[in-house]
Amino acid sequence: MISGLVQILLFQSLGELISKFLLPTLPGPVIGLVLLILWLVLRKGINAELAMVADGFSQYFGLLFVPAAVGVVLFLPQLKANAVAIVSALLISIILTIASSAVVVRFLSPKPTEEGHS
Amino acid sequence: MSEQHSIVEIWVYLSGSPLFALFITLAAYQIGLWIYKSTKQNPLANPVAIAIILVASLIQYVEMPYSTYFEGAQFIHFLLGSATVSLAIPIYRGLSSLKGRSLPLLASLVTGGLVSIISAVNIAKWLGADSGITGAMYPKSVTAPIAMGIAERIGVSPTLTAIFAVTTGILGAILAPFILNALGMKAWWQRGFAIGIGAHGIGTSRAFSIHPEAGTYASLAMGMNGVISAVAIPILYHWFN
Repeated sequence: MISGLVQILLFQSLGELISKFLLPTLPGPVIGLVLLILWLVLRKGINAELAMVADGFSQYFGLLFVPAAVGVVLFLPQLKANAVAIVSALLISIILTIASSAVVVRFLSPKPTEEGHS
Repeated sequence: MSEQHSIVEIWVYLSGSPLFALFITLAAYQIGLWIYKSTKQNPLANPVAIAIILVASLIQYVEMPYSTYFEGAQFIHFLLGSATVSLAIPIYRGLSSLKGRSLPLLASLVTGGLVSIISAVNIAKWLGADSGITGAMYPKSVTAPIAMGIAERIGVSPTLTAIFAVTTGILGAILAPFILNALGMKAWWQRGFAIGIGAHGIGTSRAFSIHPEAGTYASLAMGMNGVISAVAIPILYHWFN
């Protein structure tokens, strides 16, 4: 597990360094993510330790959003004043986004698969 | 009297250390997970939403400033960057199982990304939201850590962006099964991919909890959406403003 974390932190640091000195338009973690994909493609595989850490992160990804989202308390007056606009924009946009992505991927797919659905 | 005094002292000590913020964040999430599981994974009982409401109400109630809470909770927040980097693994797994699906996926991603931005920004603008709010809507379908990085670069509030991104994730995770069923979507990889575009990280954890293939494609969508948006949104933003 430690070796997996070391690998993640190494690529995160590389990403932050490149973002700071070479590519300020991209956030550091995004550069780290792309570098790690390239590294995995070059090495043609994921080691078990790295997979374990990554699976842990993806399982509890939601928890990591909580501290930033609690910042909602700072914006309550502004959010209340614009509540109708915000709620309508988010709701309609989510429905349109998921529906349009789903329709496009289905109609461009080569073969219709018959798997189960929820 | 002395007893009350000592309780105040303990409280002052606890609220000054990161322990309190870390404890309430993890405990609130644990309660959220517990409710989610005991309602048989009902999408309405989203653990992230429950945790946010619990923590926000609690710090309001004890009158703890957000900055004090964040001083402690930043240790959890910091891991967002590492979690973003670790998205490379599901993306790599997804890439190696693409089997000629890359064209429909890429088209779906570009369509979904553009629909998300154009619809949210224009509806908010049309209903009279100010530019601080409409600006923060641009990266709302991008996973929160990347969305906040984009927000900093286009000069809108990263906190507002995080709030919109997380709300989008929660609402998307709740609404996705209904939307996808209404459209008659059957293939798990297509359902997962659409959830990943519309509801990024929170939709992805929900997709993983329903079906592994849906989860893999949801994280593939979330990761690709994040990378492409990090490049494209600053350009689009300056183009429209």
